[in-house]
Amino acid sequence: MTLAALPPWLMAVIASFIVLNVVIGMVTYVTLLERKFAARMQSRIGPYRVGPHGLLQPIADALKLMMKEDVVPTAADRHVYNLAPIVFLIPCMLIFATIPFAPGLGVADVNIGILFFLAVSAMEIVGLFMAGWGSNNKYALLSAMRAVNQIISYDLPFIFSALVPVLLAGSLKMSDIAAVQQGSLLKWFIFYPVIGQLAFIMFIVSTLAAENRVPFDILEAESELVAGFRVEYSGMKFALIQLGEYAHMIGSSFLGALLFLGAWSGPGPEYLGPLWFLLKAMFVFLFVTWIRWSFVRIRVDQILALSWKALLPATLALLIATAVVVVWRTSAGI
Amino acid sequence: MRESNGTEITTIVGAVLRAMGATLKNLFRKPITVHYPDKERTYPSRYRGLLALTYDKDTGEENCIGCRLCEYVCPPAVIKVEMLKAEKRNYAKTFTLELYACEFCELCVQVCPTDAIVMMKSFDMPTADRREMLLDKDRLHAIGLKYEPSWATGNLLRDMQTPPKAPAPAHKPAATSPSSADPVVPRVETA
Amino acid sequence: MLDVNETTRVEMDWSGPERLQMNMGPQHPSAHGVFRAILGLQGETVVDVDAVIGYLHRCHEKLSETLTYAQYPSIASKTDYVAAMTSEFAYVMAAEEIGKFEVPRRAQYLRVIVAELQRIASHLLWLGTWCMDMGGALGGGATIFLYCIREREDILDLFEALVGARLLYGFFQVGGTRYDIPDGWIEKCRATIDRIDSRVGEYEQMLEDNAFFLARTQGVGVVSRELAQDVGIAGPLLRGSGVNFDLRKNVPYSSYADFEFTVPVETAGDCYARYKVRMVEFREASGIIRQALDKLPSGPISSRPALKSVAQIRIPKGEAYARVEGPRGEVGSYIISDGSAKPYRMKWRGASFSNLSILPHIIPGHKVADVVAIMGSVDPVFGEVDR
Repeated sequence: MTLAALPPWLMAVIASFIVLNVVIGMVTYVTLLERKFAARMQSRIGPYRVGPHGLLQPIADALKLMMKEDVVPTAADRHVYNLAPIVFLIPCMLIFATIPFAPGLGVADVNIGILFFLAVSAMEIVGLFMAGWGSNNKYALLSAMRAVNQIISYDLPFIFSALVPVLLAGSLKMSDIAAVQQGSLLKWFIFYPVIGQLAFIMFIVSTLAAENRVPFDILEAESELVAGFRVEYSGMKFALIQLGEYAHMIGSSFLGALLFLGAWSGPGPEYLGPLWFLLKAMFVFLFVTWIRWSFVRIRVDQILALSWKALLPATLALLIATAVVVVWRTSAGI
Repeated sequence: MRESNGTEITTIVGAVLRAMGATLKNLFRKPITVHYPDKERTYPSRYRGLLALTYDKDTGEENCIGCRLCEYVCPPAVIKVEMLKAEKRNYAKTFTLELYACEFCELCVQVCPTDAIVMMKSFDMPTADRREMLLDKDRLHAIGLKYEPSWATGNLLRDMQTPPKAPAPAHKPAATSPSSADPVVPRVETA
Repeated sequence: MLDVNETTRVEMDWSGPERLQMNMGPQHPSAHGVFRAILGLQGETVVDVDAVIGYLHRCHEKLSETLTYAQYPSIASKTDYVAAMTSEFAYVMAAEEIGKFEVPRRAQYLRVIVAELQRIASHLLWLGTWCMDMGGALGGGATIFLYCIREREDILDLFEALVGARLLYGFFQVGGTRYDIPDGWIEKCRATIDRIDSRVGEYEQMLEDNAFFLARTQGVGVVSRELAQDVGIAGPLLRGSGVNFDLRKNVPYSSYADFEFTVPVETAGDCYARYKVRMVEFREASGIIRQALDKLPSGPISSRPALKSVAQIRIPKGEAYARVEGPRGEVGSYIISDGSAKPYRMKWRGASFSNLSILPHIIPGHKVADVVAIMGSVDPVFGEVDR
């Protein structure tokens, strides 16, 4: 029985099962990568004792979270509180559906891939607010209100900066965008003169903000609102929220690698494509992490001002400029 | 909120790159972590660690004469001593030290006339029960034999604070091992 | 003249205000100790702050009446435990003032060296924790925190070589100091100071032009000159608001008159101004240490016999108030002696206690995130506040 003989729905189920498991496995080890990277930047060693050089640390963390007592505050809104981690997690996992890991190797490489990704990734805000509201805790509520403000403000620049490669490639389908960048290093959109670099920088900044990473992590702000909207969660529910956050983070890294860094293009034979894709996504992730561990955070009103007064006009202008350049190039034939 | 115009963009970008560059530079520096307890860092010779009672180097007798000066000077009053009188010299019948309440201020070491109580160059006494840190005389002597003593003994500390006027001191302050010798910067008595 | 009992309340002119009372409780990652601030919030703006202290009260002043002058300096370090040397300094100076004891030159220079090293160490901790409060324990703030702690460890190593202890020393004694410097300490001290100077330059580079940092600290927590003088704050808070007052220059004690240093003064009064004052103080402290090491006289380190028994130090009847410029401000010790080996009464003037009284005047009107920035720049240590 060849793969092509399986009914399409079964193939989709198998593919999504594999992708989900791989994503969960990657999320746990990406936390270790971040911890070791951050530690080295701070003149210390990260996890070291659990397993050789800390390689079993994520497993230990996962086991610990699974074994923890599930504490639910008495006055919490039970249904909202219990549903919130799931509602938060689902969009963060769903975004992996449209990413093609190699030509033809993806769960659902739809024609509107980018649109689906951007729309679904913005839905995590619902779960976030549910968590903050259902906890019946002033700190959580404050954090949830800040989160709504921030994520909504930064989704627009995120979308606009992600649309620049769409314009350059001329298609919303993810594999098309990746296909245009194949061939040589200079075809990667990040090397597109001026527009590519600007778009990449704005993409990174918007990702940081949509991800609640420092310098835009006012909503978790450990030193003010300890853990923000997650403060009342423990055990497996907390693990789901963590999973969702890091999955979104990795998803955005994969998107960045696909849009700007040429996805699976790289030296060597074709089957190494997904490996290059992974390495590029990790590079984007580490870049974001590097920024995270270098700056202090800014206040929520400053974050919003930065978005509405600076980033949104800039991305809009960039998008219009890209459109002009694309039209001029097609008409001039270059 | 600062207005952003053309010239400020360069300052902002420059500052961002400088900060990121500093973090990157530290990425390639060797970490300063010491893998305790596999490796220990070198403790200085005056380190104030665990407390211990000592024996005389020449005769092997206990140094402590039960004078209770350490008991009186201890600020949190963790030392309890009972004196035992004998013909030639006195001893300490019991000597209890509550290490869990000790402040490690070294005043007991400072006042001891016979250098009986000293501090060690180690703090290694992990325990799950605080009652195990109530040290009696036997345990204090055992600690004294187990670890390396710090340079500071009563007479040395008192000589450092006020050097003896006589050129030939009656006690020998150089009775410490050469590796932990801590000669003080030579001083001249000035007016 | 300002009525200092009148705290500021900001009335927001919205219809139907929804006021939220939020407790920044005694257990809080950025409370700098145990401090409770009951914030009245309107949206994201603080309109009201009620400061509650006393969670770390350990009855120091009563305790000092039961401990002799020989025993208490080791305990005095526990008031301002971050800058233990300056706390002991105040107590010992007050006792010496009553008894009119002369302190030998070498001891005075050692005291100055140690106090300035402690100032550098305390400011390193301040910078680290402030940036961590503003940047998050999982974020850039933690990076700067760990760098500052890495540098502070070098200074603590120096203290460890000198005294044997890293945080709470018992270095000072009435009449002089208890320890003299060991071999090789001077060279190590010079090398450490040079290294710290260059690293502090790195931090300045990381923070100075940083738009995020400036956005968080400029214009935040402005203390006007009149407010500063009326409320009675001291230290970098006062000097950040334009008042040129430093005990080391205005009321020189110990051997500070022998050294050349400048006192940084900024006029803006906001968190950034206080930051700049402390950064310059790093450099000035290093300068003082270098001068002291160059000119270190030889001689005894104590003018009294070595400590042999607990009631050895008796001070005649009298009373005195001694003040020391600690890293946080003026640390003062007022002793009334009745001729015995223990004081009749001892009172601490805690620098952070007086500095905290500025909070109800400057916090209202700011956002919640600014509360931590302001608290960090006030730099309280609750051992000093609650004693």
